Amino acid sequence: MIVSNELLTGLLSFLFTVLVLSYLVGDNPGFRVAIHAFIGTAAGYVAATVFRQVVVDKLFIPLLNGDTWQRVIMILPLLFSLLLLTKMSARLEWLGGPVVAFLVGVGAAAAIAGAVMGTLLPQIEASAGMFSDGFGSLLSGGFVLFGTVVSLAYFQFSVSKKNVSGKRGKLAAFLALLGQIFIAMTLGVLFAGVLAAALTAFVDRIQSLVLFLDSFLR
Amino acid sequence: MKRIFSILNAVIAMGCGLIVLIGTFFNLQGMRETRLLFFQWAVILAGVAVLVGIWNLFSVHLQKIRTRQPGSLYSLILLFFMLLSLLFSSVTEFSAFKTVFLNGIILPAEISLLALLAVTLLYALIRMLRTRTDLPTLIFLTTALAALLLPVLAQFPAVNDLIRPALTNLLAAGGARGILIGVALGTLTTGLRILLGADRPYGGK
Repeated sequence: MIVSNELLTGLLSFLFTVLVLSYLVGDNPGFRVAIHAFIGTAAGYVAATVFRQVVVDKLFIPLLNGDTWQRVIMILPLLFSLLLLTKMSARLEWLGGPVVAFLVGVGAAAAIAGAVMGTLLPQIEASAGMFSDGFGSLLSGGFVLFGTVVSLAYFQFSVSKKNVSGKRGKLAAFLALLGQIFIAMTLGVLFAGVLAAALTAFVDRIQSLVLFLDSFLR
Repeated sequence: MKRIFSILNAVIAMGCGLIVLIGTFFNLQGMRETRLLFFQWAVILAGVAVLVGIWNLFSVHLQKIRTRQPGSLYSLILLFFMLLSLLFSSVTEFSAFKTVFLNGIILPAEISLLALLAVTLLYALIRMLRTRTDLPTLIFLTTALAALLLPVLAQFPAVNDLIRPALTNLLAAGGARGILIGVALGTLTTGLRILLGADRPYGGK
């Protein structure tokens, strides 16, 4: 009997949905089988995609088909890639250290640039921009700014050397409590958003199970 | 020899990081191009690092099967699906099966795990109410319930025009901005500690 791809997809989808949702009654072998199969499938898919779209397209093709300059500048990443492969061996893994150091250095610099230009400056700009529309915006902008400042005060855990007890002062403790309240409100809204998304997914899965069974029973 | 490598690693991390930072913040001829080249190399090396990680996953589970450790049957399932998925994703002739694996295993499993999160979150909420009943917890719960129920009451103009915007744009915005700035400051500090050599996650200290 020849099974069409649509039927196979539907069957697999039904099976994996049931096995994963079986966790609702507790950890069981069916759930573990589904999770291991999922991890294996995802790892194989990622490996193939990364090899084709990164290693072949960005390294091998410029090395084989690029002009002289492209070939020259791709020799170093090729060498680095070979050194990184030594990480698979316990004896030679120290050879991959410089490559990891390069990745960490570039990653740290990119993170600093992203934090300054992608978060700090835009957030400061947005905070300042809230005061630009008359008296009403002054109140709302002031409220949001106050919330921001007390939220940051909550994350202040260092104390001066003179403070032997290591506890916050009265004013700092009061500001931290206010900050905690603002953070609780933010996390409440975020929690509601995540819960709504998860519930939508739950409804979608139940609907897919019902539709699959319905298509079989007809 | 390893000590020399340790110093070399620190020099490479600090030097490359500084070049990228200078290339980002200053419009210097040559630095921008070098920064872009470093990013290009970093993408390739990150891809190779992913492959090394997947190889490690493969070898760990293979070892579990060889030594017949408890749960080696699950390792066998993982390796079977990994090899099958690798084959279907690599060979063009099997691209139809790649779609079957994507739509039949990866997507349903991911969405089902997200669906499980709904139950887990509700369970965690109930547990939190049992163990903690202080002011921030009550505010958290009230805000979460309000944010969940307000879309249902959106037909009332007062809710839609006043309460919802006040909750999301005013009450939650201050905390959200504080958290975002806090995370950015933390990232900045960690990044600077790496570039100054105080932290060496690549080994050596």
